[in-house]
Amino acid sequence: MTAVQTPTAARTAAGSGSRVIPVVRLHLVNRFSMLVLPWIILGFIFLVNLAIWWIVMSAVGPDADRADVQEGLQWSGASFYIFVYMMVLGVQAIALTFPFALGFSATRRDFWLGTSLTFVLLSALYAAGMTVLALIEVTTDGWWLGGRMFSALYFGGDAMPWYARFFLFFATFLFFFFVGALAAAIYQRWRVNGMLIFFGALTVALVGAAALITFSESWPAVGTWFVETGAPGVVAWSLVPTALAALVGYVILRRTTPKNS
Amino acid sequence: MSAVVEVKDLSKNYRTVTAVDEVSFTVEENTIYGLLGRNGAGKTTLMQLLTGQEFASSGEIRVFGESPVENAGVLERTSFIKESQKYPDDFQPKHVFASAPWFFPEWDAEFAERLIADFRVPLKRRIKKLSRGQLSSIGVIVGLASRAPLTFFDEPYLGLDAVARQIFYDRLLEDYAEHPRTVILSTHLIDEVSNLLEHVLVIDEGRIIVDQAAEELRGSATTIVGTRAGVDSFVAGREVLHRDHIGGLASVTVGRLDPLERQEAAELGLELSPVSLQQLIVQKTNVPAKEFEVKS
Repeated sequence: MTAVQTPTAARTAAGSGSRVIPVVRLHLVNRFSMLVLPWIILGFIFLVNLAIWWIVMSAVGPDADRADVQEGLQWSGASFYIFVYMMVLGVQAIALTFPFALGFSATRRDFWLGTSLTFVLLSALYAAGMTVLALIEVTTDGWWLGGRMFSALYFGGDAMPWYARFFLFFATFLFFFFVGALAAAIYQRWRVNGMLIFFGALTVALVGAAALITFSESWPAVGTWFVETGAPGVVAWSLVPTALAALVGYVILRRTTPKNS
Repeated sequence: MSAVVEVKDLSKNYRTVTAVDEVSFTVEENTIYGLLGRNGAGKTTLMQLLTGQEFASSGEIRVFGESPVENAGVLERTSFIKESQKYPDDFQPKHVFASAPWFFPEWDAEFAERLIADFRVPLKRRIKKLSRGQLSSIGVIVGLASRAPLTFFDEPYLGLDAVARQIFYDRLLEDYAEHPRTVILSTHLIDEVSNLLEHVLVIDEGRIIVDQAAEELRGSATTIVGTRAGVDSFVAGREVLHRDHIGGLASVTVGRLDPLERQEAAELGLELSPVSLQQLIVQKTNVPAKEFEVKS
């Protein structure tokens, strides 16, 4: 039974206590779900898009129309799925892996540190993959069909250095991971009531902000800010809520009893 | 012997219930404890408190001399197996057994493999698809192979058949003999484990009502059977734990009898029989025997 054989080097030294790295390994032990499946699904979405681009490009005739289609494809949302997938992983890390890790006698602190480290590692990994795909997409002028999936407009379009692309993807993945984890932590601690209050408060805050902007007639200013800040700038700002979610998530989970039912 | 767990005036209150009510006890090193009680008596809450998963409302807990809450040094010497354990999505048993050694320094991979074969756990099936018994087997294997100096089993064998339960008892005793440790076992199947237990804690409505060596507890009561008149006259003036009448016959449970009293009873033509741990606890927690046989 090779599946359960464990190298002695993997053992934690007795007495050291810290389980941060074991928690990271625990998150990644099911390699297929964490590292393979998302790419398979993304690959499938990509193939479907490729087929659509091909069909559309074959259907439109003159060059003017082609340019028009390419303009439209700038707004592709085809790769959004992978960010949502990462949010789901963030939710599951708390909803399922948290009770499991505590069942393996990890402390909440080590769990949170290990989980955060896992999020950073996965974000870097997926951001690197997305960056490579975006570079290929730009170089081949949209996979020779003028398609756009990894270098869509909100990912900075086609004129952006690779490191800016990487940072953009990296920070966006982090945001989705930690926001998912925060929502799941609230649920773990306060169940349905926590969810109701959380989403209630979020709705009130968003509507309030919209009202404030509307009544002060500052929508143009908001628009200008987004344009001026640009995609990398907006994403850089997202690090603030991300860090806040990471911090608040830990504070909440530190006093949480894992729910097993 | 030294105390592994020391609990003093421990309480846990929820909004409407007191799950653990000013409890004090100690757990000695390298002993098998039975934590017995009815459903909702506070067994699981107590174990969650001792493993730092639940937070005490008041009182003091010392495990290996320290508070267990968020204490990595204490927790890594602790293993807590519960019937309702959650597993990460899409996990297969092989993932559980692959990751356990990262968390339990004393993990014995060979022993784990033997147990996996004993319990016939399929390694490459999604945990969601396993039967109740197979799910319990995973917990039992982790609990045994982790060899934690302090191991908690909370209703570990829900859904396990009689053969698998016997394997659990046998392996636990064998391994315990070679690698002594402290085991705290909560269960409804009291008679099945009664030979295993060295010390018994009975919890009822959040309070510890029995804290006694199992041997002592087993001899602490006797049932006297005979004619109603004979039994009644013999037990007059004694504390009666339980009484049954069928026609002209009576069956009465009283406390410990010394040899002289045993002789006297024999001369009166009364029959004496030992009381099983289960009967005793049922009588102490004052519920019909059936309650204990119902699996939660």
